[in-house]
Amino acid sequence: MLREPAHRVSRRAVLMWTIQALVVLAVLLAGQVVWWLVDDSPSRSLHWIVGAVWLVAGAAYAVAMPQWRYRVHRWEATSRAIYTQSGWLRQERRIAPLSRVQTVDLERGPVAQLLGLASVTVTTASAAGPVTIHGLDLPVAHELVDALTAAAVAETGDAT
Amino acid sequence: MSEDTDGWRRLDARMLLVHPLETLIRFLPALLAVVLFRSGSDANDRWELYAIPLIVAFGVLRWLTTRYRIADGQIELRRGLFTKQTTTARLDKVRTIDLTARVYHRLLGLAKVEVSTAGGHHDRLVLDALGVDAGRRLRAELLHRLDPAVTGLPAPTGAPMAVEDVPREAPPRVDDELLLRLDPTWIRYAPLTVTGLASAAAIVGFATQGFSRFSQERSVFRDGASLVSRLSWWADVLLLLGIVSLLAVGAYVLTFWGFRLTRNRLGTLHTRRGLLTSRETSIDAARVRGIRLDEPLGLRLAGARRLKVVTSGLLREQGGSDWLCPPAPADVVTPLALRIRPDEAAVSGPLTPHGPAAQRRRLTRAVVPATLVAAALVAARLLWDWHGSLLVLVPLILVGAVALGQDRYRALGHTVTPGHLVSRHGSLDRQRIVLDRDGIIGWKVEQSFFQRRVGVATLVATTAAGAQHYDVVDVPLEQAYAVLAHVSPELLADFA
Repeated sequence: MLREPAHRVSRRAVLMWTIQALVVLAVLLAGQVVWWLVDDSPSRSLHWIVGAVWLVAGAAYAVAMPQWRYRVHRWEATSRAIYTQSGWLRQERRIAPLSRVQTVDLERGPVAQLLGLASVTVTTASAAGPVTIHGLDLPVAHELVDALTAAAVAETGDAT
Repeated sequence: MSEDTDGWRRLDARMLLVHPLETLIRFLPALLAVVLFRSGSDANDRWELYAIPLIVAFGVLRWLTTRYRIADGQIELRRGLFTKQTTTARLDKVRTIDLTARVYHRLLGLAKVEVSTAGGHHDRLVLDALGVDAGRRLRAELLHRLDPAVTGLPAPTGAPMAVEDVPREAPPRVDDELLLRLDPTWIRYAPLTVTGLASAAAIVGFATQGFSRFSQERSVFRDGASLVSRLSWWADVLLLLGIVSLLAVGAYVLTFWGFRLTRNRLGTLHTRRGLLTSRETSIDAARVRGIRLDEPLGLRLAGARRLKVVTSGLLREQGGSDWLCPPAPADVVTPLALRIRPDEAAVSGPLTPHGPAAQRRRLTRAVVPATLVAAALVAARLLWDWHGSLLVLVPLILVGAVALGQDRYRALGHTVTPGHLVSRHGSLDRQRIVLDRDGIIGWKVEQSFFQRRVGVATLVATTAAGAQHYDVVDVPLEQAYAVLAHVSPELLADFA
C-alpha cells in the first residue's frame, strides 16, 4: 500500500480556492440579476426560490470545497519520482518518474499572484500524464522547479 | 531531377497535373451549382473558365516554393511564397511513415508521403506528392537509418544527401516476413462492426435525403417509394439490414482490399491496403508499445477479432492507420498477436477478475438508466395514452440492461506478465490491451466518491503511445497498488 505524499500545500491555498469559488458564485449572481431585470412578470417568487437554491448550494461549496481540497492535496518529490494527491469529491494520486519528465512549468494565476502562490506542472511524453501541484508557496515552488529541472536534465533519452 | 547546392529537393513534377485535379474535385459542388445556375439563364459568358489558369498557376507556384531536404540529422520541409514556413523534424524522432495514393495519384505513379514524429499528433510533415519509388526510398532511408546495410548508405545524420542516391531497387524484400494477408472470405465480418454499421448508416442517411428530393419528380423513385411503403414492417427492416450490410461490405472492401502485413528484419511493421486509395503505413518497431485486441459484440458472437497496434506518433486523424488486422477469425488474429508480442499469458491467458464491488457497479450503471427509460415509457402510457404495445419494450429493456451489465463485468480483468500489463473492459466495444511494461511512463489512481465508498479504483497507466492512457477499471484498491508495485517497484520504493 502506498502512503500519502509527505508535504501539504500552502495554507493560503484554502483562501485561493475560496476566492475561486466566490468568482463562480459572482457569475451566478450576475445571471440572477440579469434575469430579475429582464423578467416582466409581476410574480417574483420563482426568482427567490432559484436564488435560494444556488445560494445554499454555492455557500456550502465555497465553505466545504476549499477545506476538503486542502486536506486531500499533498505532494512529494524525490530524486526519482514526483508523487501527488489531489481532488475532493473525485480524488486521484499520480506518480511520474523523473526520468520521463519533458517539461516543468511554473504558473501563477491572478489570485495566486495576489496570495504569493504558484502551481507547478510536470509533463511527460504522454498527453494524459501531466502532474500539477496547485497552491504552493512561491519560494517552495521555485525550489521544486529547480530540483525537478536538474533531475530531468541529468536523464538522457527521449523520454517516451 | 534538379537539386540545388544545399540538398533541397522539389516534389515530383507530375504533381502539377494532380493539383488542378484536386482543386477541381474540391470545388465540384460549387462547379455543379454554377452549371445548374447557367442552365437556367441565357448568359453565354463562361467566366468560370478564367479560374483554370489561376488554379494551374497556383499549382505551379506551390510546386516551385515547396522543397524538402534531409540534412544534419533532420528532415526539413519549406513552403509558402509570401509566408515562408519551415517544418523540421529530427530523424531520430520519426515514428511512422504513411504513403497514400488516391486513384489519380496511382494513375500518375505518385504517392503522398506523411512523416509523423514524436511529441504530439500535430507534428507531421506532408510531402504531396512524390513518385512512388522516391517515396518508398525516402521511407526506407528514414526508417532504416540505423542500419546502413538496408539502405546501403551511411546513417543520414552526416553530410547532405539526395534521396535519389539511394539504390533504385527497394529495400530487400526477401527476408521480409509476411505476417498476414487478407482472406476475401473475411469480408463476411464487415457488417458486424460498429464502425462498418456507422459508416453504412451515414451513407443511407445521405442517400435518403438525396432521393427524397428526386422522388417528387422521377416516377422510378416514386414507384420505389410507394412499393417500400406498402411492404410490412419486417420486410422494411430486412431491406434496411440488407442495404446497410451491403454498404458495410463495400466500405470494408474499399478500405482493406489487398491488406497485407509484413515485418522486415529490423522489426518494422508495414501494412498495405486499399482498393482505390492505396495506403502503406510503416511503423518503427522501436516505437511500438503494445497491441490492442478488439472484440466488439458482433465480432465476438461470430468468433472474430481485430488487431491494432499501440504506438507513438501515429496519425490519429487518418482512421485505420493503426490496424494490424481487419476483422478476421479469432484463430487467425490470436496467432498473429502472438507473433507480434510473443507472450501467451498476455495475449490469451486468463485475467484476474475485479470482484463483487465492480460487478455491482457495472449492474447499477446499466440498470439505472434502463429503469429511467422504462419508467418514462410507463408514464407516457399512463399520462399521454401512448400505444400499449410500447410496454412490451419495458421487460426487454430491463433484461437487456442486466445482460449488458453482466457482460461488462465479465469483460473486466487485468494481469501482469513479465513483459506486459494487460487490461480488458467493455461489452459492445470490448478491448484487451497488451501494454509493454517499459512503455508505461506514469501512473494515476483515480477514485470517484462512489468508488471510494466501495473500495475500488481506476488504475491508469499513462504512455506516450496510442490513446496516451490505458485504464484498469474498478479494480479493488489494494490490487491496484499491487499492480503498481509489481510493474514499477523502483517508483514505489520511495513512497511505500
